[in-house]
Amino acid sequence: MDPTAAHYMFQDDPFLMPRNAANSRLFSLSKESGRNAAKYIIKQFPQYFDKTFAEPNIPCLMPETFTPQIEGVSEEALKERIHLRRVKDSVDLFDQLVQAGTTVSLETTNSLLDLLCFYGDGESTPEKEKEEEDLEEPGVNASEQKAPKRQFQRGSQSSGSRWRENNNAERIFKIMPERNAHSYCTMIRGMVKHGASAKAYDMYIDLLNERHKADVHTFNALITAVPYLKERFLERWELAKVFLNHMAQQEVQPNLLTFNALLKTLRRCGGVGRSMSLLAIKEMEALDIEPSLATYDHLLFIFYRGADLCPSGIISEVLDDVEKRSFTPQDPDDGMDFSISALFKLGWKANFFGTAMQVCCDLKDIKLAYQLNKAMEKGDNWKFLDMDRLNAYWSKFFSLLCMMEQIDVVLKWYKEMSPSHFYPTPKNILDLLQALDAANHLEAIPSVWEDMKQLGFNRRQDLLQELLSLMSREQHPEEIQLAFAKCAEDIKAVYEQSVREQALLEWTGSALGHVALLFSRAGRTQDAWNMMERFQQINRIPTDQVMEEFLNCAKQTNCPDEAIKLVKLAAALGLPSSQRLKSRTEKEFELSEKQK
Amino acid sequence: MWSRVRGWGGAAGGSCRLAARLLAGPASGREAAGVARLEGRPHRYRRLPKIQKLFSTSSVLSTEKDGSTASKDSTTEVASKSQGSTAETPKQKLLDLIGNMKVEVSYRKKLQQLKTREIKKQATNKLEGPDSEGSVLQKTTEDVQRGKPLNPELVEAAAAVASSLPLNKKQTESELLAQLRRHEETTDKQKKGGTINIRNVISEMAVKRQSPAQRGVRISSRISLELDEDGQRIKLERLSPQSFDSRRSLKVGGRLNIFTKASTETENTLKTVSSPTIWDLEFAKEIAAITAQPPRNGFEEMIQWTKEGILWEFPIDNEAGMEDDAEFHEHIFLEKHLEDFPKQGPIRHFMELVICGLSKNPYLSVKQKVEHIEWFQKYFEEKKEFLQEI
Repeated sequence: MDPTAAHYMFQDDPFLMPRNAANSRLFSLSKESGRNAAKYIIKQFPQYFDKTFAEPNIPCLMPETFTPQIEGVSEEALKERIHLRRVKDSVDLFDQLVQAGTTVSLETTNSLLDLLCFYGDGESTPEKEKEEEDLEEPGVNASEQKAPKRQFQRGSQSSGSRWRENNNAERIFKIMPERNAHSYCTMIRGMVKHGASAKAYDMYIDLLNERHKADVHTFNALITAVPYLKERFLERWELAKVFLNHMAQQEVQPNLLTFNALLKTLRRCGGVGRSMSLLAIKEMEALDIEPSLATYDHLLFIFYRGADLCPSGIISEVLDDVEKRSFTPQDPDDGMDFSISALFKLGWKANFFGTAMQVCCDLKDIKLAYQLNKAMEKGDNWKFLDMDRLNAYWSKFFSLLCMMEQIDVVLKWYKEMSPSHFYPTPKNILDLLQALDAANHLEAIPSVWEDMKQLGFNRRQDLLQELLSLMSREQHPEEIQLAFAKCAEDIKAVYEQSVREQALLEWTGSALGHVALLFSRAGRTQDAWNMMERFQQINRIPTDQVMEEFLNCAKQTNCPDEAIKLVKLAAALGLPSSQRLKSRTEKEFELSEKQK
Repeated sequence: MWSRVRGWGGAAGGSCRLAARLLAGPASGREAAGVARLEGRPHRYRRLPKIQKLFSTSSVLSTEKDGSTASKDSTTEVASKSQGSTAETPKQKLLDLIGNMKVEVSYRKKLQQLKTREIKKQATNKLEGPDSEGSVLQKTTEDVQRGKPLNPELVEAAAAVASSLPLNKKQTESELLAQLRRHEETTDKQKKGGTINIRNVISEMAVKRQSPAQRGVRISSRISLELDEDGQRIKLERLSPQSFDSRRSLKVGGRLNIFTKASTETENTLKTVSSPTIWDLEFAKEIAAITAQPPRNGFEEMIQWTKEGILWEFPIDNEAGMEDDAEFHEHIFLEKHLEDFPKQGPIRHFMELVICGLSKNPYLSVKQKVEHIEWFQKYFEEKKEFLQEI
C-alpha cells in the first residue's frame, strides 16, 4: 500500500488531496453531502427522472415512490401508511377511523404506537441527517485537530426532553379500549428514547399493575434510563438491580444488550460501578453471552477514566480477549460516531479502540499499545473505527511511540503512517520534535518543517517557537547550520507574509532572536542585521547571546560596518552589554579611524 | 463585643449586621453546627461529638446556642426585612445582602470568641433578666407570656439595633426580641428532648447496615485514597495484594446471581414468530451502519455497487431482471394453441403464419401470445357466418 496516498475516496490528484485531518474530514463530508444533495433533487423532482433507461432497472438511483396506493378511510389504508412511515397521515387516518366509529384492531394500533414512539411525534425526515452533521462541524478548527470530544459527559439528553406532554402517542394510548403488554412496552421504549425517563418509569409501574410482562427490549431501555431517575450512585445501582430482578421474575432472558445497558449505567456510578461491573461480567459469562466491543469499552471507561488510576490488570485481560476475536457489530454502541441515532439518543457512542488507546497512553505502556494495534488489524475489527476515530487513535499511538520508543522506530512509523493512515496533529509534531531532540537527531528538523508546511501548521506560533528554539540551541556542523538557516528564512517569510484570511503573525522577542542567531551562525550577516533592526520595532531587546553571535558572524565575514552598527544599536537601546560589545569590537576588528 | 459592634457601623446595612452579630453573640454555636447549617446538613448529627464534649461544662448552654444559631439566618432575614420595609432602596437591599454575607463569614470567629464569654456571663445574668427586659420592651401579650428570661446583653443589643434604625424602632425591637424568644423556646424544647433525640439518633445509626456495595465502595475508595497519597505501587502491594488484584480481575470473582441460564428448549419455545417491528428494523439498520466504511479501493467500491444493483452481476445473466415464468419452448412451439382451428384452408395457413411471427417475438409474454391467438379465434368465430357464405 502506498504510504503517501490518501484514502481511496479522495481524488487522486496532488492538488485535491487533503493535507491534514481537518481537511480530510471536510472533503469526505462534502462528498457525502454532495451525494445527499443529489438524492434530495431526485426526491423533490421525481417528474424529471421517470425514464428508466437501465435494464434491468436500478431502483436505488430512481426516485422512490412513497405515495400510498390505498385510498379511503379503512384499516388497510392505515396499515399502508404506517408501513410507509408517514407519521402525520397515519395519525390523521387513525383519528378519522375512531371518529367514524370503526374499531381499529389492537395489532394495528400497536404498530401505530410503534411508529409514534420511535419517531417521538416527529416526522421521519432524512434532511435531519445533514443538519445534525453540520451541527458537529463548528467544533473543528480548520488547522487544528481535536481529540474526539469527550462526549461521554454529555450524558443528559443533548436536546432536552423531546417527548412532548400529551403528544399523539400518549393520546392514542389513553383512548385505546384495550391494551396489551406490547402497547406498554413500546410506550416505555419511546419515552426512554426521547428523554422522558420519569414517565417511562411510571408507565412501567402501570404495566406491572396490569399484570403484564415486559420484554427484554423494554427492560434494556429502562436500565439505560436509570441514571436519569436517580442521582446517587448507590441508588442507581439499586434501581438497576430492581429491574434485573424483575426480569428474572418475569422469566425474561437477558441478552447482550441488557448487560451493555447495565454497564453503561454503571459508568455513571463511580466506585459502585467498579465493583459491580465485574460481577456483571461474570454473570454474562455464566449465561454464555459473549461480550461485544461495547462491553469492553464500558469496562475500560469504568476502570480507567475515573479520578484514580487503578493499577488493575483489567486492560491486559481485556486485550487478551479482544485480540483473539474478530468482532461483529452487535450493539449500536460498538462503533461509529456521528450517526443520526446517536444524536437522537444520548449524544455519545462508545468507542473501544479509542478508549483503549487512551488508557495505554495514560498508563504509558507501549506493549499494550502494540497488542491493541494487532487486535485492531485482526479480521474486520478495523471497521469499527471511522475516519475521525481512526485519526485520533493513530495520533495517540504516535504520541505514545514518541515518548517510549527509539527514534528510528518512531521515524519508521512516521514514514509509514502519515499521511496515508493518519494526519499528524500539532501535538504529534511537537512530540516528534521532542523525540528528535532526545535522540540528538536534530538534523531531521528541516524535513519536519517541510511536513509542517504541508500539513498547514506553518503558522502555529507554538510549533514555530519550538522549532526555532531547538534549532538555535546549539552550534551544529556547517551544512546542518545552513539548512537551519534556510528553515529560518522560511519561517521569517511566514512571519512577514500576511495571508489574506489570516492575521499577521506577531514576532516575539525569542523568535526574532533565534532567527537572528541562525542567520549569524550560517554567516548571513545582512539577513542577521535585518533581524536585529526589527527588535526595536517590536519593543524587544536582543539577548546577549544573540549579539555575541552576531559579532562572531561579522568577524567571520569581515564586516566591521555591521559590527559598528550593532554597537550603535546596543548603545541606542541602552543595554548594559554595549560597553563590552564596544570593547570587543575594537579589539577584534581592524577599524579605521573614522569608524572608531 | 460592643466595641467591635460599633466598629462596623456606618451604612444602613451595618445595623443589620449589628443585629446579626448580636444575635450570634450569645449563641456559642459550635463551629460544627455552623458548618452544618452552612452546608445544609441536618445539624442533629453534627451536634453529637460537641455535645458530649460540652456536657461537662454546661449542657444548658449547648442546646440553647444551637437553637439560636440554627435560626440565626431567619433572624437576620427578619431584621433585614424589617429594615427593608423602612427604606426600600436597591442600595440598601444590596447592603443588606452584603451584610448578611459578611456575617456568615465572620460568624465562626465571632462564635468562638463569644463562646467563652457567654459561659461566664450566662449564669449571672439570668436572674437579672426579667426586670431590665420589662422596662425596655414594648409590652405585647406574647412577650409577657414568655416566662423565660432573655439574655440582657441580647436585649440591650436589640435595643441598640432598634434605636439605630430610622423608623419603627419599637416594632423592630419587638420583632427581634420575639425572634430571640422563639430561639429560647425551641432550644429549651430541644434541650429537654435533647437526650432522647440523641439516643434515637445513636440507635438509628447503629441499626443502619452498610450494604456490601457500600462497603466495597468504602474499601475501594480507601485503597484508592492510599494510592492517591502515595502514588506508588509498592504501597498497594503492602495492602493485601491478593485480595485487591483478585477483586479487579475479570477472571475471578462472584457473579450477580440474578439470572439462571435458560435451557435451549425453553429458548426455542419462547421465540414466537412475529413480524419485525419498526424498532427491530431500525436496530438492524443501525447495526449495519456501524461497520459500513467507505470503500478502500476500486474492488470494494465495485462490490458495493453490485450489492446496490448499480453494477451487473458477473457472470452476466441475460435474464437478469426479467420475470418470465415460462420456458422457451412455450414461447416457440405454439402449435398446441391451434387445435381449435380448422386443419386445412386459408385460416390455418394464416394462423400458422401468426404463430411463426409470435414465436419470434421476444417482447410478449406467453400469456400475451396466447391471448393473441384466442383473439383471432374469437374473431373468426364471429365472422363464421360471413365466411360460410363465401
